[in-house]
Amino acid sequence: MPASASTNRFLEERRRAALEVYEREPVPTWRRSGFWTTSLKRLRLDELEPRRYEPLDSVQDLDPVVAEAIGEPDELGGLIVQRGASTVLCWLDPEVAEQGVVLSSLERAFEKRPEAVERWYMRRLSEGEGKFPAATAAFWTGGAFVWVPPEVAVEKPLQVVYLLDEPGVAQYAHTLGVVGELSQCRIREYDLAPDLDGQALHSGAFELYCRAGSQVRLAHFQDWGAGEVHDISTKRVEIARDAHCAWTPIHLGGHLTRQTLDIVTAESGSDMRHKGIYFTEGAEHLDLFTTDLKEQPHTNGDTVWKGALTGESRASYEGLIQIVRGAQESHTYLQTHSMLLSPRARTDAIPSLIVETDNVSASHGGTVGELDDELVFYMMTRGIPRSEAVRILVEGYFEEVVQALEDPSLEALVRRRIAAKLEAAEEQVVEFIAERG
Amino acid sequence: MSLEIQNLHVRVEGADEILHGVDLRVEKGETHALMGPNGSGKSTLANTIMGNPSYEITEGGIFLNGEDLTEADPDERARAGIFMAFQYPATIPGVSVANFLRLAVNAGREEPIRVKEFGELLRKNMEMLKIDPQFNKRYLNEGFSGGEKKRAEILQLAMLRPEIAVLDETDSGLDIDALRIVSDGVNELRGPELGALIITHYTRILRYVRPEFVHIMLDGRIVRQGGPELADLLEAEGYEGIRAEVAASAG
Repeated sequence: MPASASTNRFLEERRRAALEVYEREPVPTWRRSGFWTTSLKRLRLDELEPRRYEPLDSVQDLDPVVAEAIGEPDELGGLIVQRGASTVLCWLDPEVAEQGVVLSSLERAFEKRPEAVERWYMRRLSEGEGKFPAATAAFWTGGAFVWVPPEVAVEKPLQVVYLLDEPGVAQYAHTLGVVGELSQCRIREYDLAPDLDGQALHSGAFELYCRAGSQVRLAHFQDWGAGEVHDISTKRVEIARDAHCAWTPIHLGGHLTRQTLDIVTAESGSDMRHKGIYFTEGAEHLDLFTTDLKEQPHTNGDTVWKGALTGESRASYEGLIQIVRGAQESHTYLQTHSMLLSPRARTDAIPSLIVETDNVSASHGGTVGELDDELVFYMMTRGIPRSEAVRILVEGYFEEVVQALEDPSLEALVRRRIAAKLEAAEEQVVEFIAERG
Repeated sequence: MSLEIQNLHVRVEGADEILHGVDLRVEKGETHALMGPNGSGKSTLANTIMGNPSYEITEGGIFLNGEDLTEADPDERARAGIFMAFQYPATIPGVSVANFLRLAVNAGREEPIRVKEFGELLRKNMEMLKIDPQFNKRYLNEGFSGGEKKRAEILQLAMLRPEIAVLDETDSGLDIDALRIVSDGVNELRGPELGALIITHYTRILRYVRPEFVHIMLDGRIVRQGGPELADLLEAEGYEGIRAEVAASAG
């Protein structure tokens, strides 16, 4: 296992504690009621290494999946790319830097501004959460640190890219973001790989603190391609008093993904919108567990997840609303929808609710279904061929979440990728719809 | 130029037969009314004409201008020139009225319609149907009132200009004002280029859209055919009166 590049004592302590947990904990298996199990028994962890790479000058020197995802260079506020175990690119628009924004590797941030980093590092994450959170906390290298000072508005997105471009690589990734009081910004994190021929691991931690009165738009875009990338990650967002965060995770591909996504409205007046997409294909396995945690009174939430499955893929979404004692006058809603586009795909959608106080409103709903025959018929009666009708209906189904990105270039990317996936599966999807009709 | 239904027997998959041999011919330029009580098979006929896969034709056929469409997919029928206004139009999430109409218009053309031409056509037809211009940005039928849905159906009819239009209970659930707007729209579209089959439970719409031919359907059969006077007779006697007459003449 790699030695840390940092000599920060605080960090060394945390790494040591994490290593103890890592060595003690077995490789987990996640079971859920019914048919669902997420197992890592095919992951050959011993054969993977945290590979190092040299720094690069330009995005053009990286696999083209990066350039395709991040959009036009003049639209970027900043960009940091971690390839395997190394930060290979870090760039910040001078105007954005002038505002006091910091974008660097987390390693460098521990060296340059230890006090600020130590104050926030793993405030809401714990190495005690399991084998992989412990592994990430013990072994992360590179990493990303996003710091937005109070009372600035950063228009252009700050972007963090994790890239796996070779098989045999284990990537332990940690992003720490802090958005200062009354500031506004957009943050995008990408998990990208071309179609690898072999196994790789992304073990990730993401933590973002939206401080009082801030307004943050956060997007996660995951597309690990068709290789055997295993992604086991924990992402947590804390929203302080009167702050608002709109968090839109997009999952478009990964051999096996187990992610815990938590959004904590931590102080009175904090407000969140959490809208996500997943689209699985082939033999992919996706396991998502989100928690909408309300810790204080007068907090709001709105969660919507929409998924679709083709091939023999498996997707499970469990969404928990938890309103703790004392968080009165909280209002939140969670809905999850899953659409089967293949007879061999399997999915479940489990919304659940723990309310420990009174005088709140919280509701949830979940649907698992197939594309509605009557809608396909309706469109066909307007002369639209079945394959096109199916494509339009699936794209339309996702549109609510795509538009929640409020980010034209990212919206265009997501639409493009969904269209490409539908095209790849067109024959089987159309056959499935026609046979049912 | 005509739609011809020959000896049509239809059942819902796995259930009993609903239509027991229906014959009907609608020529271009004609307006027909098909009337019947609930459960008589009117909507089954409309859906079967359009090729709804939930309905199975066990005997007989459907022809447009002599071309056999009995086995054709719904989109082929649409492109051949048949249109149906739905009794309960589907909601299409994420697809705006304007986008949907553009897709539908282009589905029937070799070359896509020019943006300007499409915009003018849409504006003109929305004006005719007294539809708010903001309407075309909304997702099709999402959150629409009953009257708005029916107007959106007639808007599609106006945009697509089929040879044969089947209006399946377009009048149901409309208040008088909405009925008048929809009827005016249909009258505007009538002419030598359109054959219309208006399916209705009530005689009310026929006061606004006068048909040349009236057919009365009971229990999956057309039992009376005639001119507009048949609708007046029905209004006077009701379906039970007609049913009694049919039973008497059969007996």
